Amino acid sequence: MIAIAKRDFKSYFSSPIGYVCVAVVLAFFGYFYYQVLVAGMSSLIGRVYSIMFTWCMMVIPIITMRSFSEDRKNKTDQALITAPVSVTGIVVGKFLAAFGVFALIILGSVIPCVFISFFGSPNWSIILGNAVASLLYGAAMVSIGLFISSLTTSQVIAAIGSFAIAIFLMIIDTLSSTIDNAFVTKLVNWISFNKRYSSFTQGLFSISNIVFFLSVAAVFIFLTARKLESRRWS
Amino acid sequence: MIEVSHLTKRYGVNIALDDVSFSVEEGSVVGFLGPNGAGKSTTMNIITGYLSASEGEVTIGGYNTIENPNEAKKLIGYLPEQPPLYVDMTVKEYLNFMYDLKKATLPREKHLEEICKLAKIDNVYTRLVGNLSKGYRQRVGIAQALIGNPPVLILDEPTVGLDPKQIIEIRNLIKSLGRNHTVILSSHILSEVQAVCKRVLVINKGRLVADGTADQLAHNLSTDHRLIARIDGPENELVHAIRTLDHVVDAVSYGEKEPNVYEIAIEADENYDIRRNLFALLARKGWPMLSLRNTELTLEEVFLRLTSGEDPNYFNKSKKGGQKS
Repeated sequence: MIAIAKRDFKSYFSSPIGYVCVAVVLAFFGYFYYQVLVAGMSSLIGRVYSIMFTWCMMVIPIITMRSFSEDRKNKTDQALITAPVSVTGIVVGKFLAAFGVFALIILGSVIPCVFISFFGSPNWSIILGNAVASLLYGAAMVSIGLFISSLTTSQVIAAIGSFAIAIFLMIIDTLSSTIDNAFVTKLVNWISFNKRYSSFTQGLFSISNIVFFLSVAAVFIFLTARKLESRRWS
Repeated sequence: MIEVSHLTKRYGVNIALDDVSFSVEEGSVVGFLGPNGAGKSTTMNIITGYLSASEGEVTIGGYNTIENPNEAKKLIGYLPEQPPLYVDMTVKEYLNFMYDLKKATLPREKHLEEICKLAKIDNVYTRLVGNLSKGYRQRVGIAQALIGNPPVLILDEPTVGLDPKQIIEIRNLIKSLGRNHTVILSSHILSEVQAVCKRVLVINKGRLVADGTADQLAHNLSTDHRLIARIDGPENELVHAIRTLDHVVDAVSYGEKEPNVYEIAIEADENYDIRRNLFALLARKGWPMLSLRNTELTLEEVFLRLTSGEDPNYFNKSKKGGQKS
């Protein structure tokens, strides 16, 4: 498990993919820090993160698209599955690697605040709250991306599939306003990643939201493991 | 060491393996032979736990591969048909990764060094796997299978893509590993199986069709009462004279092989040795016999006979040619 996580994490950075993902998203973070804090004359760090929510959603499918599809295509999955590691171990290893790249981005996003703290006194609890929220949301999204990646041998299809789900989860809010059914509205609000995430950016640390994101991550890790397992039987 | 019992693998309506059972004792090298698509790789994939069987079970060193997969997998070193290599790693990184993945406990540096020497990849140790030639990749694949010194080695076509010199090296390596490992190797190169393996399993269309040593297989299927002789003499008279000999069922000429020397295939009654009578006849007639051999099948012919529906009988097949000439 640790071996797989280490190898996969390294492999992100032995090709340009890891550098590009981290650099592009951090560049956007930098831009929105400027937009919100300097140009907007605001001190609400949460706004930076709520704007960046979309961009994080876009970058995660790119990080996860190759996890399982590439292994399956190059038949390296034979080495993993015939090794004395459980399938859940393999999936968790891959999850940690992909999540590690995302965590690196979020870690990088805090850098501007470190500089701000030299000249002022930023509210660290809000900054860390936002970062943790992003990590939670990232964990859920990474596990969904891994699951999609385990369904196909094509990285492109894996990426597009994860994009579709990411975008669907983003626009699901707008659905709730168009449907006139109390139950559906409630359901949609319950699923909405956006709603749960934005409550963090407003500084609300709700246990139910934390549990929600962690559960989504766990469910999709479980489903991915089952998917790998089922391939042996087909 | 390896118990395979009643393995069946179905893909929808296609049956890839049909009730395959065999067992392999500790310390033997077994060749797995079959035409393409016969089920060799499927069987190996099931033994190593990459695939699951629709029915039947596999036990490795007492561990069932379904109930104790991790224990069973620890005992196996597997080289799949396509070596599972990460092209973005160096050989060193890759072997270290496989070392961790397999949870090997032998002293890392020393163990990897030994394996590299065995597989002869120490000169490419720091190069990227992606830049290696097919032969070297295959050897890295073999090295990977040896990590952790597992008692069972499953090698799926280990010499594919190697040059003749490397093939001999790898065969010798497998032979030497066979002394203290249990090895199953698949191949469709018959000479390889003959050179390396004591025992041969022939699989065709998902069924095990033969099991025995190469010599046994050849002997069982061959027919000792069929002879092929090269005789210096007039063709028609030769054939006629031999036909009239007692216990001869048929004689056919294969045509002129050397100037005025004809090759004659002779079929005698079963369980009757006509070699002495034949010699006496030819001596009487003054036709020198230049060679005499029986039609004992080569492994190649055994293989063809076992794996094709038709009877590739050397005698009958040559008969047609003989009549033409």
